[in-house]
Amino acid sequence: MEDIKKAILEFAEKTKKTKFYFNEMEKAVRKVLPDTKARAVKKAATALINEEKLIYFSTGSTTMYGLKGRGQTEDF
Amino acid sequence: MAFEPREEQKELKYDELRIYSDEELNNYTEEELKNFKIKHDIPMCDDLEKGPWPSFVADSKREALHRKNLAKDRMMIDCDVVEDTLGQLEESFVDGETHWKHGGIVGVFGYGGGVIGRYSDLQKKFPSIAHFHTMRVNQPASKFYSSDYLRSICDLWEYRGSGLMNFHGSTGDIIFLGTFTEQLEPTFYELGHVLQQDLGGSGSNLRSPSCCLGKARCEWSCIDTQDMCYELTHYYQDELHRPAFPYKFKFKFDGCPNCCVASIARADMSYIGTWKDNIRIDQEAVQAYIGGEIPPNAGAHAGRDWGKFDIEKEVINLCPTNCMRLEDGKLVINDKECTRCMHCINVMPRALRPGTDTGCSILFGAKAPILEGAQMSMLTVPFMRCEPPYDNIKELVEKVWDWWMEEGKNRERLGELIQRWGVPKFLEVLDLPPMPQMVKEPRSNPYIFWKEEDVEGGWDRKIEDYRIKHMR
Repeated sequence: MEDIKKAILEFAEKTKKTKFYFNEMEKAVRKVLPDTKARAVKKAATALINEEKLIYFSTGSTTMYGLKGRGQTEDF
Repeated sequence: MAFEPREEQKELKYDELRIYSDEELNNYTEEELKNFKIKHDIPMCDDLEKGPWPSFVADSKREALHRKNLAKDRMMIDCDVVEDTLGQLEESFVDGETHWKHGGIVGVFGYGGGVIGRYSDLQKKFPSIAHFHTMRVNQPASKFYSSDYLRSICDLWEYRGSGLMNFHGSTGDIIFLGTFTEQLEPTFYELGHVLQQDLGGSGSNLRSPSCCLGKARCEWSCIDTQDMCYELTHYYQDELHRPAFPYKFKFKFDGCPNCCVASIARADMSYIGTWKDNIRIDQEAVQAYIGGEIPPNAGAHAGRDWGKFDIEKEVINLCPTNCMRLEDGKLVINDKECTRCMHCINVMPRALRPGTDTGCSILFGAKAPILEGAQMSMLTVPFMRCEPPYDNIKELVEKVWDWWMEEGKNRERLGELIQRWGVPKFLEVLDLPPMPQMVKEPRSNPYIFWKEEDVEGGWDRKIEDYRIKHMR
């Protein structure tokens, strides 16, 4: 779990995008930890949300993830 | 089966939960409403009030007047919110574009769905709708609720939001329209801890499952839709609130093929109650329909004289598979050919009833987008037993999700993924055999291709030899 969380945070800090889809995060984790299952990535991402390191961005129909403090952090 | 709640259910009493007094709720007269003008000039919105249908503009004006007459300290957001909403709508009509900015990072702690951020791009002109976030509230199964419950949530939203609500959104949720960011957590707390009410799904989540009236009110229901909806809603809480899917995913439960919640047209995974045995026939009642003693369609179309009921014309000849006939005055049904269209049962409910060996058919891939048009779901599992705790169904659900999460592109619904990969691949994922009914035009488009290992003895021919004559 800690490995996955670390891989997610590394990806979130490195990527040029301020928000990204779950599967982009999942692919990035698999590059570092090849056999990681989607559900494990989800659990780690949820833990990071609860630790307030990641944020959800929702359009209403689609949800993306982002690193807290990067890109849009305040209300418009 | 008696309802067994997962947690103790409180009896909600409006008298204990109410925020507003009767005087505050009835704080304007019809005369006052007639003379009421909102603070913005809205000729085009006013125009929407004309015509035979109820208008949201008329309802909004009522709410605007109601809020104007409430004391300012009795609402947590500005009392002008409804007037500004109408004012901005008028502005949008003039400019030919929306003035809402959609989406954002707002939400309640730990939830990836249930709140949709919305902001005005004319905040100086309409400050009371600078934020206008939507909250989706998971509707009770079959939308059964008491007036105490309804009054309590209306009071809550009047106090913490705009007072504007939708009953119900397309997915079934109760929609709270318009509030400021700082009111989201307090509203969620009140909903969860006082009203025992959860938020619904939005974004790339499992959306709030919805079901028809089911066995609670309908004798045709072949499955306990309410129980399935309740069980799967609880079991998949994580999928409902923590988004990890490529896009939205909807479950809908219909008790019979009449499909009252239109699962076949709107759900990625539709559960439709059906039966394995034969339609039950009461021959005496059939004769009573023929003799005109019982009105067809339970008298539903009795407002006009349609002439004498003609069973041949109105039932037998309309059967899509021609599986019915009258033999010596008796109605005979070749049940093997029945496609569960429900027409005969709907017309003669006293004479014909669904069978007793019941379960559900499972269909996949429907969607009803605003653009591009709807796609109906495909019958994939003709029959599956539906008994608590529904482990067989959960196993199927998870097979589908694993594949979709692995292969689905961003914003690709399950139906689109099935189209992209083809039905054979989808059946392979589910480990199900194909059915002849899945092939629409077998001679021109035989989309079931056999693999060598499926055919006894295999084959020697090579695809390259075939391509010499049949170029791509």
